[in-house]
Amino acid sequence: LDEDNSEVADPSLSDDRDGSGPGRRMPSICDPSTLLHRIVVLIFMCFLGFGSYFCYDNPAALQTQVIQDMQLNTSKFMQLYAWYSWPNVVLCFFGGFLLDRVFGIRLGTIIFSLFVCFGQVIFAAGALCNAFWLMELGRFVFGIGGESLAVAQNTYAVSWFKGKELNLVFGLQLSMARLGSTVNMNIMGWIYSRIAALVGSSGHTTLGITLMIGSATCIFSLICALILGYLDKRAERILNKEQGKTGEVIKLTDVKDFSLSLWLIFLICVGYYVAVFPFIGLGQVFFIEKFNFSPAQARAINSIVYIISAPASPILGFLVDRVGKNVIWVLCAVLTTLAAHLMLAFTFWNPWIAMCLLGLSYSLLACALWPMVAFVVPEHQLGTAYGFMQSIQNLGLALISIAAGSILDSRGYLFLEVFFSSCVCLALIAVVVLYFVDFLRGGELNLSASQRGKLKEVSAAETEKRVHVHQQKDEDLARLKPMSAFGLRNRYLSRLGAQLPDHYCTHLSSLAHRSVLK
Amino acid sequence: MATAGVSAALCVLFLCLSLQPSRGLFNSGTDGYRRKVSLELNPGLNSSPAAPPGVNVLHVRAVGPSDTLHFIWGSQGAPTLLLIHTNSSNSSLHIDWQRMLSSNSTGSLWVEPETSVQYSSALVFTRIWEYSDDNDTADPSRVPSSSFFPAYDLADFAWDDLNRTLNLATLRGQLCGRNSSDPAGAFANGSVCLEISAFEAWGRDAAWPRLLHSANSSQLRLVVSNVTERANQSRFALEMVAVTGRGRQSRVDTLRSIDDENTPSIFQVSQWVTMPANARAPVLSFAQWKPVAYRSRAPVFEDATPVRHSALLDLPIPPDSGLVRAFFGDQPSPGYQAVALNVSFGITGDPFYNATRYLSWTVLLGLGSPPQDSFSVLVQVIMAVALGMPLLLLLLGGLYVCLGHRNQAPGYAPIN
Repeated sequence: LDEDNSEVADPSLSDDRDGSGPGRRMPSICDPSTLLHRIVVLIFMCFLGFGSYFCYDNPAALQTQVIQDMQLNTSKFMQLYAWYSWPNVVLCFFGGFLLDRVFGIRLGTIIFSLFVCFGQVIFAAGALCNAFWLMELGRFVFGIGGESLAVAQNTYAVSWFKGKELNLVFGLQLSMARLGSTVNMNIMGWIYSRIAALVGSSGHTTLGITLMIGSATCIFSLICALILGYLDKRAERILNKEQGKTGEVIKLTDVKDFSLSLWLIFLICVGYYVAVFPFIGLGQVFFIEKFNFSPAQARAINSIVYIISAPASPILGFLVDRVGKNVIWVLCAVLTTLAAHLMLAFTFWNPWIAMCLLGLSYSLLACALWPMVAFVVPEHQLGTAYGFMQSIQNLGLALISIAAGSILDSRGYLFLEVFFSSCVCLALIAVVVLYFVDFLRGGELNLSASQRGKLKEVSAAETEKRVHVHQQKDEDLARLKPMSAFGLRNRYLSRLGAQLPDHYCTHLSSLAHRSVLK
Repeated sequence: MATAGVSAALCVLFLCLSLQPSRGLFNSGTDGYRRKVSLELNPGLNSSPAAPPGVNVLHVRAVGPSDTLHFIWGSQGAPTLLLIHTNSSNSSLHIDWQRMLSSNSTGSLWVEPETSVQYSSALVFTRIWEYSDDNDTADPSRVPSSSFFPAYDLADFAWDDLNRTLNLATLRGQLCGRNSSDPAGAFANGSVCLEISAFEAWGRDAAWPRLLHSANSSQLRLVVSNVTERANQSRFALEMVAVTGRGRQSRVDTLRSIDDENTPSIFQVSQWVTMPANARAPVLSFAQWKPVAYRSRAPVFEDATPVRHSALLDLPIPPDSGLVRAFFGDQPSPGYQAVALNVSFGITGDPFYNATRYLSWTVLLGLGSPPQDSFSVLVQVIMAVALGMPLLLLLLGGLYVCLGHRNQAPGYAPIN
């Protein structure tokens, strides 16, 4: 302890190379307590996830090339997505635990980055060696790292920006994630064609080289993880800051207490997302075949969902927060998605219309559905509920990816779209049932924001008092303090509509899992 | 909320149903029209002048309630499918074999009674082009003529005996042939096969492209397998000639179709229709195909390769076809006209022929308007259930809540 104190008292000793002169003041860019330094940290934080978001949709961006060069059929191709989802069926429960208890945030982030990196390299090596099983293995390893890395990214954000610009930071991370996906969708095809021109022919070697180039983004992200780890360690030394914690508590036995409403929410989640992500995975060829798009146009329209959701998510999130009535919003989102799928299935209307609708409704659903969990689950079970939700979602994605591939192989796109539409209809049924269950039980899912505010007035007032007491007490350390159980509670209270300070609105955190925001 | 939901769902349902073709909800190509079909090889040919090898005339007689369709499939000269429609259910085909096998075969094939003939036309598979697609354009019209190899003239082919492959139960027969003067040995293992199928009723083949066929049609499948390519970048094209009576006009349309259930990933159907010169009259006959060929014997999704067709071209001379000479005569000018069409296989970026050395393409030929695809019953049932269930739940739930609410009404205090 003494050592720590001495270092805090004399930061320049530990940081001579910063050029802190006799005045014993570091330049503000090196001082962990200043905004400037946090912005530097923020840049690394944003690029931490870039690689994994970039590489996640590599198969979709190179669909025709992967299928042709590896001599696959579509259902085998979709295995690449299934293999990503399999580890996350389990890891959703343990990611937070591993970060908090086993590795710690810094080591954990580096380990998960390594997984992402090696996963992508194995994936690319599989293409180089013309071994599809190796590519599947690569996606599996990539999946182990990818989802947990997103959790680590959020934990870093909370640890550095809590009490300050947290909302903005989450927003930036989301935008960064979508930027990664979009850039991937639009650039990988071009890289492939350039490599093909260089090598002289297309083939699995060209594919492998292209994917290896893609893995550079993962190495870049790994470097960000290392730098972040160093900066976090340094900040700990200088400011006596603890490692960040996810604060997630997972107790599998909580499952028996889950209410009907929660299971319905799970059902909506599965039914909805399986009709969006596997569709995007298969979308490129669909637009080429059905709407006679050029490959570049097809990649552009396939990425429009991500592009739209970048600006739409914060706006719609704000709207949903203000209005309340989540079930109606979810119903709107599901109906719009259904309409979009029906349009794609049964008309030759310009697919930009349907895809823009899909992008909007997808953002709306993310804003309205995920916060609903907090209304039907007691606080201490929230971690378990979210873990379950994502686990079931990943299970659904893995199974439906395979199913979608084989349906396409044997029955074509119309039937595939009909299949996706019926998945959305399943979600629609669940929403309708949820509405009535909630209505009959007098639940608060569908209350407007003001009604919620009234209901929560008493408890909110009480909580607020405690918030203020704690805030004053911890004012100085608050910025870089890890998330306590109490902080965790606040995070969820904000979802309940309780009056909390703006910067405590951390509901985006749980949305930052890839499976949700991708 | 309930009303909004109901109306939205109704809109969706209506949108879905209104897009149905007007043929009715559960009528996906299963109308009851049937014909009695019989197959006969070399009708009227006694054993006395034994059929020389390679002479095959397959007569498909499809008798309906008040008319008869004669499909005659022959390999003398270029492979030809002759279609004769008569308005009598007991019209019969006659062949004068002596003349047919002689050098002057004009008029050696006729139908009795002659006045019953309503319509006749023929489709001749004349040539298969092979070209070296060095720039990978897959478009024969943009390939320099120096890239074309000498065409395989199907009239010069030696054709196998159809008797060996004829299946009277499934109404199928396959005619395989090889280039008789095969200097380069390209056909050492390879062959060009044409498989003909006749149909008694509506239905589909089990194999892609699963064209919808009616009792008024028969189907031909062209397979070019194991032919040694003359260049590494070889692609193929097929030349066909349609022969019809004077005063007809024909055109090729490519229609878009939202239903790719039977031919995955193909959203188009091409049809070459023949009609009387006055434009409004109904279509007399058709050749219909999906613009897709398959690059393997048991095709999967990725073996599909697009098919393109050229513009129609009027020919001054008749094709070299025994059946055309025998039925129409050898001078086109007064009696009939010949129109040629090329279809080419492949698209830029698709593997060349040598990747699989296999190419199969299917075309449906028939009388009247080409059959139109509609959604399968399975798709209709799934959509009805998927859209109906939420609607039903909404109604039931709404009803339950309304009734429940009325019962509880006295004890309820409004929240706000």
